[in-house]
Amino acid sequence: MHEMGIAIEIYRTCRDTVAEHGGGRLRQVRIAVGELAAVEPDLLVFGWEAVVADTPDQGAALTVDFCRADQRCPACNQAKDRSEGSWLRICPDCGTPLEVRGGDELDVIEVSFETDEEGCP
Amino acid sequence: MKNQIVSIRRRALAASEEHAHALRERFAGSGTLVPNLISSPGSGKTTLLEATVRRFAGRYRISVIEGDVATERDADRIRALGVPAHQVLTGGACHLDARQIDGALSVADLMPADILFIENVGNLICPTTYDLGEDFKVALLSVTEGDDKPFKYPAIFSRAEVTVVTKADLLPYVPFDLEAVRGYVASLNPGGTLLVVSSTTGEGVDEWCELLASRLEDKRRP
Repeated sequence: MHEMGIAIEIYRTCRDTVAEHGGGRLRQVRIAVGELAAVEPDLLVFGWEAVVADTPDQGAALTVDFCRADQRCPACNQAKDRSEGSWLRICPDCGTPLEVRGGDELDVIEVSFETDEEGCP
Repeated sequence: MKNQIVSIRRRALAASEEHAHALRERFAGSGTLVPNLISSPGSGKTTLLEATVRRFAGRYRISVIEGDVATERDADRIRALGVPAHQVLTGGACHLDARQIDGALSVADLMPADILFIENVGNLICPTTYDLGEDFKVALLSVTEGDDKPFKYPAIFSRAEVTVVTKADLLPYVPFDLEAVRGYVASLNPGGTLLVVSSTTGEGVDEWCELLASRLEDKRRP
């Protein structure tokens, strides 16, 4: 279960981002997790809830955009889907190794927060 | 009170990856080859390192960072061969992080080294995600674990540049379809290398050491 450690890192990244923008309380965080990132989104959300509990950011939501890898067979010259849950990098039709791009995302993409100050211009 | 939404695109593990990046620069500067060994517990990482240290004695300066939940046992085994080793105790965590490698280098006398081996915590899942500034990951799979491991834990076998099948001397005694493993690992990782080794009989150890020597030479080529 490395999702807990990752949740802690995401929290640090979010706090840094908020601090860079004047400080405040986290409301919502959006992250991208690729299908090949070896990270379980449900466990990550579970870890996140534990990380923000008992902090001023308690209740901040973590939403996960699950990203598929972009895979092409150079022989068929077509996009190919690997079967659900499969890591095989070969074309299901002709057996040629697929060109795989992306799918390993583990990125914080949006941080929503409430600033502390009132009526800032 | 004002709501703000900031769009960023920052790696979730950015802080850890910055440390890994700094380590990689440092190892490039010192010309140190850094393999990161990953496998389930008991697949023979430390035993392969012992065989490697013996083979390279007098040829290369070797040092080792060991990751375990508890005890200095693995580091003690390496030190017994006259090679500097530092034990990182994770106290329950299932992987090593670049910051722990940083920490090990600052408290232990491991550098200068030609090859710095990192033996990760015995686990086929969690260490896969963490960059330690290594040159490449090595996945070990012992024949006694069964030939279905690459099917069940594909992430590490798709990311490790080198897969080492260990305990090959036990192949006659266990059902392990080496050719099936070879095929599956090749399809997960078309550019990877698979070696078959027995640290006990020495089978394949030369090939493993040659691979390390040639990678070190490549790294130092101007």
